Amino acid sequence: MFANLTIRQKQIAWAWAFLALPVLFYGVIRFYPTGNAILISFQDWNLLGSRTWAGWENYAKLWNDPVFWKVFVNTFEYLLIGTPLSLLISFVIAYHLDKVRFMHGFLRMLYFLPFMTSAVAMAWVWRWFYQPVPSGLFNKLLASVGIPQIEFLNSTTNALPAVLAPAIWAGLGFQIIIFMAGLRAIPTTYYEAARVDGVGWWTQLTQITIPLLRPTIVFIVVFSSIGFLRIFDHVFNMTTNNPGGPLDSTKPLVLMIYQTAFTSFDMGYAAAQTVVLFLILLIVSLAQLWILRSD
Amino acid sequence: MADIAIADLIKRYGETQVLHGIDLDIRDGEFVVLVGPSGCGKSTTLRMIAGLEEISGGTVSIGGRVVNDLEPKDRDIAMVFQNYAIYPHMTVRKNIGFGLRAARMPRADKERRIDEVAALLDMTALLDRKPSQLSGGQRQRVAIGRAMVRDPAVFLFDEPLSNLDAQLRTQMRLEIKKLHQRVGSTIVFVTHDQVEAMTLADRIVIMKDGHIQQVGTPDEVYRSPANTFVARFIGAPSMNLLDGASLPPGTVPRASDGAVLVGIRPDDLHPVTDAPLVEGRVTVREPLGPDTLIYVDTPSGEVVAKADARTPPAVGATVRLGAAAQDLHVFDAASGAALRVA
Repeated sequence: MFANLTIRQKQIAWAWAFLALPVLFYGVIRFYPTGNAILISFQDWNLLGSRTWAGWENYAKLWNDPVFWKVFVNTFEYLLIGTPLSLLISFVIAYHLDKVRFMHGFLRMLYFLPFMTSAVAMAWVWRWFYQPVPSGLFNKLLASVGIPQIEFLNSTTNALPAVLAPAIWAGLGFQIIIFMAGLRAIPTTYYEAARVDGVGWWTQLTQITIPLLRPTIVFIVVFSSIGFLRIFDHVFNMTTNNPGGPLDSTKPLVLMIYQTAFTSFDMGYAAAQTVVLFLILLIVSLAQLWILRSD
Repeated sequence: MADIAIADLIKRYGETQVLHGIDLDIRDGEFVVLVGPSGCGKSTTLRMIAGLEEISGGTVSIGGRVVNDLEPKDRDIAMVFQNYAIYPHMTVRKNIGFGLRAARMPRADKERRIDEVAALLDMTALLDRKPSQLSGGQRQRVAIGRAMVRDPAVFLFDEPLSNLDAQLRTQMRLEIKKLHQRVGSTIVFVTHDQVEAMTLADRIVIMKDGHIQQVGTPDEVYRSPANTFVARFIGAPSMNLLDGASLPPGTVPRASDGAVLVGIRPDDLHPVTDAPLVEGRVTVREPLGPDTLIYVDTPSGEVVAKADARTPPAVGATVRLGAAAQDLHVFDAASGAALRVA
C-alpha cells in the first residue's frame, strides 16, 4: 500500500510517523492538563469529592482577594527588578569575560556553576548567609565594620530583594553563556573597521555591539522574564517556616497557587490562579516580542 | 597624500615568525598590489600598515612619520575589508557617515561629504537602504564609500573583490582603477589573484612565506621574473619549466656551470615545422576562441603551448614545439633564481 503513494504522500506519511511520539506526548502531558486546568477553574473541587460547577465564582473571589493583589504586585516586583538587573549584570560580565584570555574556561565555569546547583541547596545556604550574628555571614561582616544588624528575611521591605538576590545569581551563568555566544557571533572586522575610523569604545558598544546583540537580548529578556514570573523554589525554601515571608511580602503567584491547591485543597481556586498566571506570561512575552521586534 | 616606507618589517606570533624583514617603499599616489598564495604574509603586512597587528620588528612610516606605536585612527588611513564590514543595522548613509563619527566637523559638512561620496560612487539613490537590500557589488561600494568619506592619505584594501562573482569582480576592478585615477591617493591592495594584481597595480609586490620575491611593474614581473616562483605565479596558464639538459644542445645559453631550468610561457610556445625545442603527443585541447591551448606530453614532462585556433593539432597527434630565443627564461635549477643571459 505504501509503495503506491506519491513521493509527496510518502513524505507526509514519514513526517507524521516521526511526529507521532511528540504529538502524543504534548497531547497527554501538556494540552490535556492545560485544558483540564481551565475547566477546573470554573468548578469547585477538593481533590477527593466530586466536582461541582461554579461558573465565574473562583475568578470573582480572586478579584476580591487582597492576598491575590499583594501577590500580584510581588510577582511583578520579581519581574521588574530581576529581569533588567540580571540582564545588566550578565552583559557586563560577559562583555569583559569575552576579552579575558587568562583562565577563560575556568572563570566561565565558575560563573556557570550556580546555574547547575540545586535551587534548594542554594536557597538554604543563602538563608544561612542572611541570619543574624553570630551565624549569619553578611551580618557578621557588617558587625565587623560596625554597621548595625540588618533584618534580611524578617523585614517586609528587605525580604523580597533578599530572596531575589540568589535567584538572579543562579540564572547569571546561563545568561552569560548566551551573551558570550552572541558576542562571538559579531565579526571582528566590524570592530577593526571602527578602530580604523577612530570610533571610541562607547560608540562601538552602543552603535555596534548592542544593536547586533538584539536577537540575543530578546531571547534572554523573554526567557528570564518567564523565569522570574514563575519564581517559586527560592522563595519557598528561604521562607519555609513562614512560606511567603512576613505578611506575604515575598509571596509570588506560584507559591499562592501551591498553597491554595495543596494546603487548602481548593483546586478550583488554584486553577483560576493558574489561568491568570498563564495569561500574564502570555501577555508579557508577546509584549516583549513586540517591543523588541526587529524592523 | 603620503608615501609609505617599510623597513625590515618582522612579525612573530609566539615562536613562529611569519614575516622575515620586509623592505618596501611605496611612493605617494602609487597603486601597489601585494600578491601571493595564502599564508605568504601579504594580509599581515597590510594589517601592520593599518595598525591592526602589532609590529614585532622594523618600522612602518607613513608620510615620513614612524607610525609603529600610533593607533589606526591616527595613521590617516582607511581600510576596505574582505567581508566589507558594513553594519547590517544601519542605512547606507549611516554606514558611510560612520567613518566621520570621530571627525570634528559640523553636521552639515558631514552630510555634504556623504552626498559627494555617494554621487562619486553612483549611490545617491541607495542612501536610505539597508545593506540587506543591496547587491554584493553595491555593498562593496558602500565599504569603499566609507573609506573615501574620510579623505585619507592612504587606502588599504584587503582582498576586497574575493567575495564577488567573476563578472562583478571585473567590473569593480575597473571601478577601483578609475577611482584611483580620479582621487590619486596612495593605495595598497592585497589579493591572491594575479590577474587582479596585473590589471590594477602600478607596481606588484610578490610575496611567499614571509619574504618578498620581486617588486616591479606588471610588465617587469611578467617579462623578467626574478625566480621560478614568480615565473609560475604570474601569468596564466603558468610558465612551462623544462630541464635545460633535456633540450637540444645549443638552445640553452650557457649562463652558469650548474644545471638550469628553462622557462617558456605558453604564449611563446607554438607548433613549428623545424628546429623544435621539444616534441610530444597532444593529450588535451582547450579552445579559448582566438587561440587553442594544447597540452603536450614530452620527454621533459607535460608542457602547455598555444596553437592557431583555426588549425589546431588533433588529440593524439605528435607535434614539434618551438619558441624564439629571446622568449626563453633561464633559471638556476638549484636556487630557482633567474640567470642573466649574456
